[in-house]
Amino acid sequence: MQCNAASDLFTMPSRLGQYIDKPALKIENLSVSYELGSCSVTALDDISISLSKNMSLGIAGESGSGKTTLAMAVMGLLNQSTSAHGKICFNDINLQLLSEKQRSLYRWSKIAIVFQNSLDVLNPVMSVHEQIYECLIHHTKLTSRQAAEKVGLLLESVGMESAHGKYFPHQLSGGMRQRILLAMALSCEPQVLIVDEPTNALDVLSKNDIVNLISKVHKEKEFALIVISHELNTLLKLTSRLAVMYKGRILEEGPTKDVFSNPLHIYTRGLINSSPDINPYRDMWGIPGETELPVNSGCSFFPRCSQAQNTCRITTPSLESILPDRKVACNRKGIVTILKGSGISKQFGLNGKFVHACKNCSIEIRSGETAVLIGESGSGKTTLAKILSGVLDSTTGEILFDEEKIIKNSATNRKNGLQLIFQDPYSSINENFTVEQAIKEPLDILGQDSPAKKTKHLIEVIRAVQLPWDEDFRRRKCHTMSGGQRQRIAIARALIMEPKVLIADEISSMLDPSTQANILRLLKGLQNQTGFAMLYVTHDLPVAQKIADRIYVMHDGEIIEHADAQKIFTNPVHGYTKKLVAQGLIRSEN
Amino acid sequence: MIKKIVEYILTFFCIITLNFFLPRLMPGDPFTFLSSDTGEVTVSYTEAQIEKYKSYYGLDLPLSEQYCRYVGNIFKGYLGYSIYYNEDVLVIIEKRAYWTVTLVVFSLIISSTLGTFLGSLSAWYRDKLFDRTVFMFMVMFSEIPAFLIGLLLLFIGSAWLGWFPLSGGTRPFAVFPSVIYKSADLMHHAAMPLLALVLTRFGNFYLLSRNSMLTVLSKDYMRTAKAKGLGKHRIIFGHALRNAVIPVITRAFLSLGTVFGGAVLVENVFNYPGLGKLMREAVMVRDYVLIQGIFIFVATAVLSMNLIADILTRKLDPRTN
Repeated sequence: MQCNAASDLFTMPSRLGQYIDKPALKIENLSVSYELGSCSVTALDDISISLSKNMSLGIAGESGSGKTTLAMAVMGLLNQSTSAHGKICFNDINLQLLSEKQRSLYRWSKIAIVFQNSLDVLNPVMSVHEQIYECLIHHTKLTSRQAAEKVGLLLESVGMESAHGKYFPHQLSGGMRQRILLAMALSCEPQVLIVDEPTNALDVLSKNDIVNLISKVHKEKEFALIVISHELNTLLKLTSRLAVMYKGRILEEGPTKDVFSNPLHIYTRGLINSSPDINPYRDMWGIPGETELPVNSGCSFFPRCSQAQNTCRITTPSLESILPDRKVACNRKGIVTILKGSGISKQFGLNGKFVHACKNCSIEIRSGETAVLIGESGSGKTTLAKILSGVLDSTTGEILFDEEKIIKNSATNRKNGLQLIFQDPYSSINENFTVEQAIKEPLDILGQDSPAKKTKHLIEVIRAVQLPWDEDFRRRKCHTMSGGQRQRIAIARALIMEPKVLIADEISSMLDPSTQANILRLLKGLQNQTGFAMLYVTHDLPVAQKIADRIYVMHDGEIIEHADAQKIFTNPVHGYTKKLVAQGLIRSEN
Repeated sequence: MIKKIVEYILTFFCIITLNFFLPRLMPGDPFTFLSSDTGEVTVSYTEAQIEKYKSYYGLDLPLSEQYCRYVGNIFKGYLGYSIYYNEDVLVIIEKRAYWTVTLVVFSLIISSTLGTFLGSLSAWYRDKLFDRTVFMFMVMFSEIPAFLIGLLLLFIGSAWLGWFPLSGGTRPFAVFPSVIYKSADLMHHAAMPLLALVLTRFGNFYLLSRNSMLTVLSKDYMRTAKAKGLGKHRIIFGHALRNAVIPVITRAFLSLGTVFGGAVLVENVFNYPGLGKLMREAVMVRDYVLIQGIFIFVATAVLSMNLIADILTRKLDPRTN
């Protein structure tokens, strides 16, 4: 029954820093599957977690990712139809080997759970007092009088009055019920506490109260805490470490703050992008696709991943260290840097003098993200964009696209490469071309596909950019189009090459606000669907705030600051950025 | 609660009003019945005699006055004087009520307890062989009317096997050496009618409690109870049954009317000397006063049971307050 208590990912040095705390809860290679009709569905797949006293671990993931199943497995409350393999050890005792009766001794007194708040989670015909009292009577040696007194104390410790004990569950509000659940879970002073969706369906004030309360008792009682939630803000406040689950597997794991500021897995980034509470300015975008039925082999996230390769279809990635104290389960070792320019400089000769348009610029764009290159006119943004796409040669520096060096148009002259959309749709598209010709041109030059395939693809992209796709429209000349329509045609022309990186140079600056909004939302939507990375060049700060994941600030040919978008807007470092943020953002002031 | 009591009083008034008018709208007349009995001795009343009786029973008075008298008498606890039995109605009912009430109460207790027990077991072992078999039998039984089961039992238990008496509530003219012998004899006679009533109600309670238990078992609080590491007994009795039994108890009290209806039929099948048999006799001889008395007795019993059910539900389920 002994578990191997070797040092593990969650075992952190104790406060003394001298010895390693023995894990209170250790899960090794836990797999759970249940029968659904004739097939068996995997709910948990090879999960390993170790948690020592005082520690807190957050578990994030969409619904159906197996978070609650994990909690149920730890409590030993899985349905009879499920089968579980692997070890769940509490203080070196493998709970999986215990009989139901023996296991009951560990429930609540050693490992307790705060269930997800629902009307039925407490017994409707028993008073609050009785429901807490019965735990004490069953698990502790307290006399009935002592137990009754303790119920009162417990209620007070969660910010209620002992008189609330005579309430029945239906008389409690959602927030009160959450407190009662917490008091009940803490009654027998467990060493491991699991909290399932503590802030679900609570209003903002109650949410904060509950989070503060849990954080307070965690500090006081020093139990090992597991918080399961899909609300990232709650996890950020309550936990020091985070595991991100998808389809029963842990895809990423590391210190909570680091995971949020620099997610390594596409899925984690998707979760963050869907949460308005992490970056309140940016538009929300959910992770495209639904959790489908299990993928039998290969990476479970493969069908929804924007940087998947053929190997991902076959190889199941294991959770491996990529950075110190950071682990990710991805065949591509996390989100790849799709475009990397380093040390880029460009000099122009002007009246016998050299003008430095770019000075030692370095830029990195990761797969699927939106980087915004921001700066005033003449700061060298467009020059840098052109160099990055290979349209313009640089004086010094190197550009890598998907780890390959870009020479001339080597990234733009192929599918799944890099595409550029220019500022002025009136000059970037030949006016005498028909819509069809203009969009299909890159494919014609490439000359790979059959005409039928090209037309099919053409219709797809025209529909994607929300233009009419009937033959009449396709035969119309480009000069009959409005600016907005032409920009859509330009986008369609870029999309037909199925790019991995799209460089958009001030594409909305010549458009009216409504067309600009439509084009931007269209681009972000397409990005969310197809997963290309985007470098958006602009001088418009409010627009950047809406779309950017990462921001590069350019001034006088230099990149003077780059960081997470949220950080640039809330906490800029460089003097110029500060000025830019202070003046460029229109804030509603009364 | 006051609203409930007012409701009950109103219901009671409706019932006694109906009870007043019903026999008066029925065809037939106790006097013409008495005077034209199909016996060898033909007793006939003269017009004068009929007039005398009518004025004696107050039947010659205007309806409104008859009604006022009737209501007043009810509140005085006087249900009238039986025309046929020549005895105070309340006394007759009292004598007969023991048999029926015992039968009804015991059948309810037995069928609800047994039904709940089997129903809970069935729910616990849902979709296992035990559950499926019992479920099938219960659905079958719950659809057979009481008198058919009674007849079947009479054929098998009494006529064919000869284990139980064919009719009656006690052995006639028997002298018992002690109370034990007497109760044994009473039980022997009551067994078959009781069994008939239990069998008809049993399926109902079984289905109800199985259903109720299944709902309860799937509730989140059952998972909470299990997570708390409580003992199995505490989980089943303290958490599951305490919730599941509420509708069963309510139904037990509410079904009193139905059981009484069943008892009327069963008593006639077994010739059991209860109110059911008395009622039949009273209807046969158009003894309006007696019929009305029985109705009022039964109505009051059913109403008070409903009231008790209401109060109990409130006590058992804090959500109804």
